[in-house]
Amino acid sequence: MTHALHPLAEDYLDRLDRAAAHLPRARRRELADEIEAHILEALSPEPSEAEVRNALERLGTPEEIVDAEAPGPAVPAPLRPRMTGQEWAAVVLLPLGGFLLGIGWFIGVIALWSSRAWSTLDKVIGTLVLPGGLATTMALWSTYGLGESGESGCREVAPGSIVCGGGGSSTVQFVLLFAVTLLPVATAIFLARSADLNRPG
Amino acid sequence: MAPALSQLRRGVLEYCVLALLREGERYAFELVTTLGEADGMVTSEGTLYPLLSRLRKEGLVETTWRESTSGPPRRYYTLTAEGEATLDAFVVEWRRFSRSVDGLLAMGNPQ
Repeated sequence: MTHALHPLAEDYLDRLDRAAAHLPRARRRELADEIEAHILEALSPEPSEAEVRNALERLGTPEEIVDAEAPGPAVPAPLRPRMTGQEWAAVVLLPLGGFLLGIGWFIGVIALWSSRAWSTLDKVIGTLVLPGGLATTMALWSTYGLGESGESGCREVAPGSIVCGGGGSSTVQFVLLFAVTLLPVATAIFLARSADLNRPG
Repeated sequence: MAPALSQLRRGVLEYCVLALLREGERYAFELVTTLGEADGMVTSEGTLYPLLSRLRKEGLVETTWRESTSGPPRRYYTLTAEGEATLDAFVVEWRRFSRSVDGLLAMGNPQ
């Protein structure tokens, strides 16, 4: 802003700026403008130091003003537990439910999506990493096992001579499978830790 | 101001702002100083600006900037229809509440 201010007022506005550092930038700017306009309105063109001090005192400290920005209710809302049975059902059924005739995983997904404890992003992660949970992991492992003697893992290197598996690719496969085993477990832990029925919205 | 009243004061302050706007628009500095002059209502005038911002966000007031010949542009506040409805509802509640409290205080204090 271009208006000239008494040094005390400038200092006050600096302190306000620092106290408001955690506010969203637009609001911080707006508040600074409003307070500055207030000060300019309150003071005469060439104010005495006493006048400035009085005006600033009536304004209150920058910290008090910034504190008032927080929307805290006079009475805190009652707290709910972070997780209830439904959340635990999701956390357990997503990795393990696939073994219950495959249906358990779907029940876990329903529990996940109908809960208020997770954000949409959390829920997408919980569903896609890994669909079917550990049951899918097991299916992939047994595919790997078949691959050794099934078509995809074998090739004919010479007439009548078939080599299956083979160095590099099966190590990569093994590492991938190991990672894929950890994923449903990691997701379940992630969901258990991020669940919060008190999350806003 | 007794600590017991400070929460109460914080609760009613926004309705006092709305009430001041019932007659017509006022600009920020006017609102703030008028409230500041009411005995015991505000300890620091600056804290009214966050309150005004909240009222704007909640749609209870709206603002227009107007150029002013005597300095920086002024932000004028007016009551919205929702603000007026909110104020009306509060006045009813407040009259009932303050009447009850006065009645009970009178009983406990026979002077």
